[in-house]
Amino acid sequence: MHTLSSLAFTCLAIAVGTAAVAQDPVVAKKPRLAFVTNCVAEFWTVGSFGVEAGKQEFGVEAVVRMPANGTADEQKRILEDLLAKGVQGIALSPKDPENMTALLDKVASRAVLITHDSDAPKSKRLCYIGMDNYDAGRMCGQLVKQALPGGGAVVILVGNLDQDNARRRRQGVIDELLGRTHDATRFDKQDAVCKGDLYEIRATFTDQFDRQKGKAAAQDALTRWSDVACMVGLFEYEPPLMLEAVKSANRLGKVALVGFDENEATLQGIVDGHIHGTVVQNPYEYGRRSMELLAKLVAEVDAKKREALLPKGGFLDIPARQIKRDNVRAFWDDLLQKTGKKK
Amino acid sequence: MTASLLALRGIGKAFPGVRALQDVDLTIERGEVVALIGENGAGKSTLMKVLAGVYRPDAGELWLDGALVALKSPAEALRLGIALIHQELSLCDNLTVAGALFLGAELRRGPFLRRRAMDVQARHWLLRLGLTVEPAALVATLSPGQKQLLEIARALRAKARVLIMDEPTSSLTLPETERLFTLVRELRDQGVGVVYISHRLGEVRELADRVVGLRDGKNSGELQRAEITHERLVGLMVGRTLSATRRVAHVPGDAVLQVKGLRTAAFPQAVVELAVRRCEVVGIAGLLGSGRTELLRALFGADRALAGDVTIAGKATAGRGPGAAAAAGLVLLPEDRKQQGLVLGMSVRHNLSLPTLRGRGVLIDRAYEAALAMRAIAELEIAARGPDQIVGTLSGGNQQKVVLGKWLAANPRVLLLDEPTRGVDVGARSEIYARLHALAAQGLAILFVSSELEEVLALADRALVMRQGAIVGELAGAALTEANVMMLATSMESR
Amino acid sequence: MKKIVGLVALLLVIAVITATFSYDPITDSNPFLSAYNLENLLQRVGLFGVLSVAAAFVIVTGGIDLSIGAVVCVAGCLLPWFLRDLGWSAPLAILTTLAIAAAIGAWHGLLVVGLGLQPFVVTLCGLLLYRGIMRGFTGDQTMGLGDTAEELRWLATGKVALTEQFGLPVPMLLLVGIAVLTSFLWTRTVWGRHLFALGRNEEAARFAGVPTARLTVAAYIACSLLAGLGGCLFVLDVNSAQASNFGNFYELYAIAGAVLGGMALRGGEGMVLGIVLGAALMQLLPNTIRLLGDSDKLEFAVVGGVILAGAAADAVLARWWQRRPRR
Repeated sequence: MHTLSSLAFTCLAIAVGTAAVAQDPVVAKKPRLAFVTNCVAEFWTVGSFGVEAGKQEFGVEAVVRMPANGTADEQKRILEDLLAKGVQGIALSPKDPENMTALLDKVASRAVLITHDSDAPKSKRLCYIGMDNYDAGRMCGQLVKQALPGGGAVVILVGNLDQDNARRRRQGVIDELLGRTHDATRFDKQDAVCKGDLYEIRATFTDQFDRQKGKAAAQDALTRWSDVACMVGLFEYEPPLMLEAVKSANRLGKVALVGFDENEATLQGIVDGHIHGTVVQNPYEYGRRSMELLAKLVAEVDAKKREALLPKGGFLDIPARQIKRDNVRAFWDDLLQKTGKKK
Repeated sequence: MTASLLALRGIGKAFPGVRALQDVDLTIERGEVVALIGENGAGKSTLMKVLAGVYRPDAGELWLDGALVALKSPAEALRLGIALIHQELSLCDNLTVAGALFLGAELRRGPFLRRRAMDVQARHWLLRLGLTVEPAALVATLSPGQKQLLEIARALRAKARVLIMDEPTSSLTLPETERLFTLVRELRDQGVGVVYISHRLGEVRELADRVVGLRDGKNSGELQRAEITHERLVGLMVGRTLSATRRVAHVPGDAVLQVKGLRTAAFPQAVVELAVRRCEVVGIAGLLGSGRTELLRALFGADRALAGDVTIAGKATAGRGPGAAAAAGLVLLPEDRKQQGLVLGMSVRHNLSLPTLRGRGVLIDRAYEAALAMRAIAELEIAARGPDQIVGTLSGGNQQKVVLGKWLAANPRVLLLDEPTRGVDVGARSEIYARLHALAAQGLAILFVSSELEEVLALADRALVMRQGAIVGELAGAALTEANVMMLATSMESR
Repeated sequence: MKKIVGLVALLLVIAVITATFSYDPITDSNPFLSAYNLENLLQRVGLFGVLSVAAAFVIVTGGIDLSIGAVVCVAGCLLPWFLRDLGWSAPLAILTTLAIAAAIGAWHGLLVVGLGLQPFVVTLCGLLLYRGIMRGFTGDQTMGLGDTAEELRWLATGKVALTEQFGLPVPMLLLVGIAVLTSFLWTRTVWGRHLFALGRNEEAARFAGVPTARLTVAAYIACSLLAGLGGCLFVLDVNSAQASNFGNFYELYAIAGAVLGGMALRGGEGMVLGIVLGAALMQLLPNTIRLLGDSDKLEFAVVGGVILAGAAADAVLARWWQRRPRR
């Protein structure tokens, strides 16, 4: 069913896209780029505004594609269809980098491929734009430490654990709390025991992007352990769900909350003092800088010269930031201005 | 003395709450047609299912060629040469004739079907049974008679030595019946043992070498060929003699059902006009496929007519569906009782009240429902354990009484019946005839379709004969004879 | 009735196991039996139970509705839009959302009855269509309620206090109301009798003068209407909806709950109480796994396994019951 739903949507999207391109001959001469996300989320809406800005700024034509179900096979079809359409450059947030290498190499052989948000280091992608999710995870861990200087039990909520960014974020949190050395290649399994002198990772729950399930998991964690001192939500929609659960359990203030990304309810929670802080990426810049880099790369046909255009180490760092009560207002106003929304 | 082809000794079988068979004996010799008779619920079907390996008996023995056998499944029975031809045809409609013939025993080479070879062999069997259909034809396109013959062909293909036929002629036309009888005699002469179950005593007299009677799940006697008479057969079945059923004509009143210019989708060329009056019983005769059922369905509004007016006591109902027809006083007892007449999975009580609850408010009137069930069960003598018995577990005659009961509750003015006694035994049959006579005397107009000429002669004041969707003649009084009906029904096709 | 007893037994067994193993000797408390957990469970049963009752309306007719999740999505996206973006009053927003859901049901019913399309096909296409339309309509934006519906959210997250600690969640009360009403409709009204007759044998019902076409359409309307109500409750519960995944797969949870509760997929059989119990089982199992398990990886496997084992045990017991010698 899901396969069918996304297929139908993709067909529709391509039909509409083709029609749009066909109508405007001037547009067709600009470099044709694509920005592919790993799911549908508010986060990526901000990213697509960055793409919009980049289109104007760097004179390119670009489409944004968001896989509705957030699955790797859906992404595969999107990529194939983009190639069929003759797109010259693609910026992709790969869903399952471990197993997508062959596909990504194929894409890289027919178009300029860069990754953003989540990397696929084994593939032939030219460059990665984004933050280091492991570092961001460690920043998140720092927030937990601030909120909980005396230590305690921590529960992590995450969409799933197949995605590289999800794994690295979680690992960063764990390593920071357990005072381990900086090693992004480490991976503790979902049910591994992670206990340090002060902090203990009690459990990691996944909700497969189902909000009701996320809320239920947070509630059940609070039910099971009366000593949970902190909950961390690693995906954009999760901190508000945790906040709901803690509120309904009457444990506001007893359970510290740390989040990821800038859901409006998360920001409001920080303003109200219910959420200690959140780590935000800069999706706007992901979109904009992807356009910038792709425009340059596509224009350069020579492979040698192309390499010279790449940032050092094939990594363009757009660092994450910690948002807490002191800087939340300024951040929020800037976000609203960028997305053209009013509060 | 050589052993009998098949011998059943002391067979017993019980279902929850019912002892279906008790100490039943039955032998079949080679080259013999044994008729098995009994009223509905006497245990004939159960006995046949024991014989065909569908049920395993609780007690008793089954000897085949002098050897004790235990049948574990129909497939095993078939392998031993015992084949059951079902009352309700069990062929898969979506198969081809050849496919149905070889179902479960397909000729193949490795995993591949040998279609060509199957077609050739199928043609041979069809020819032998006088079936003029192509092996590649779909089963769905066959007439009931042809399907019956195909079932027999399937049994013969499986080298059956014992052939069990359960009401084989109930859906056959006269020529098809003749053809079947010839075939049965041929098979008998080749040494096949045939068990023949039928309610039609005429057929039994004509065909049987020996008759075995069943009553209440026990043997009720046996008749040799020379001893077979109508009275003795009836005696074997019901244990009492029945009065003759010829009726006294009523004096008809005003017309309550009037049909003008009616054309059905099945026969768009034929225009039907007819009228039925109060107290009148009108029979519709005709061959199978002559448009009789289609006519009744169109009158009831179950199918949309192409054109025409149907007026019931002055109210036009055409094209407004069964609900409107029933509200105006016209009801139908359909041919296919199990599919159209009853909701088999529901209780007697709920089936009885189904059409009339609606006129009694939004909430179910439980008092009315209970009273209706009590009354119908008592008046129509429905043999049920109680109003909550599931209708599907009743015998055919009692099911038909439930259908009649549910419509009588609607106080109809016109009663349409399609094959009112199909699958109903002699005893229940005469009860139904008497009931219809009484209803006509009370002022109902009755219009019925029957494939049995005896039934038309016994019931109808007047008969309409149909052919190719049109009414080709009307017979009444002294002119209403079997010969005249058959002449009208067949004249065009035969000459 | 035997089915109900079996379900209650299964629920009790799982509840007892969960309660036993979740006991915490250090604090001498039992998280599973805590007021907070019971409230959460009842609230989830209420939410998903509404969808199971919805599914049952169509299952009774012998049909199937695969678009329930998509209708949940439609309602979940539209309600925030009405309330927040258009600033409508709560009653107007809810009623309009429900009216749209009902219109979807009527559309299904007309396609099934009028054109004779298979319910599977109609509602499968509906599943694709409505979610697709909502994605286009929302532009893949999350539709959040923000703080515009704090009072209305009582319907999904509120509770009616019984004691100081424990209150009955409002969705559970809504489900009880809907279940009682549905049960009354099914067993006490002529409409319900006709619906069940139609489910068992549509042709015979039609030949008995039952307006089968109208009834079928009504069943689809009831189904989508309840699914729409469910969608409103779900979005009020989590406060935001994302068209691409809101209510995804919920039709399967709904149908599973109904079928577990004894609704025969061939139609014409079932009790409302069973459906509620079936929905409860579907919510109890994940709760058990999260309270006892080391991780939730095996959630689907355990849910599937337990349900299958329950169904198998049911069949084996029924057979044994039938074979049991009676005298």
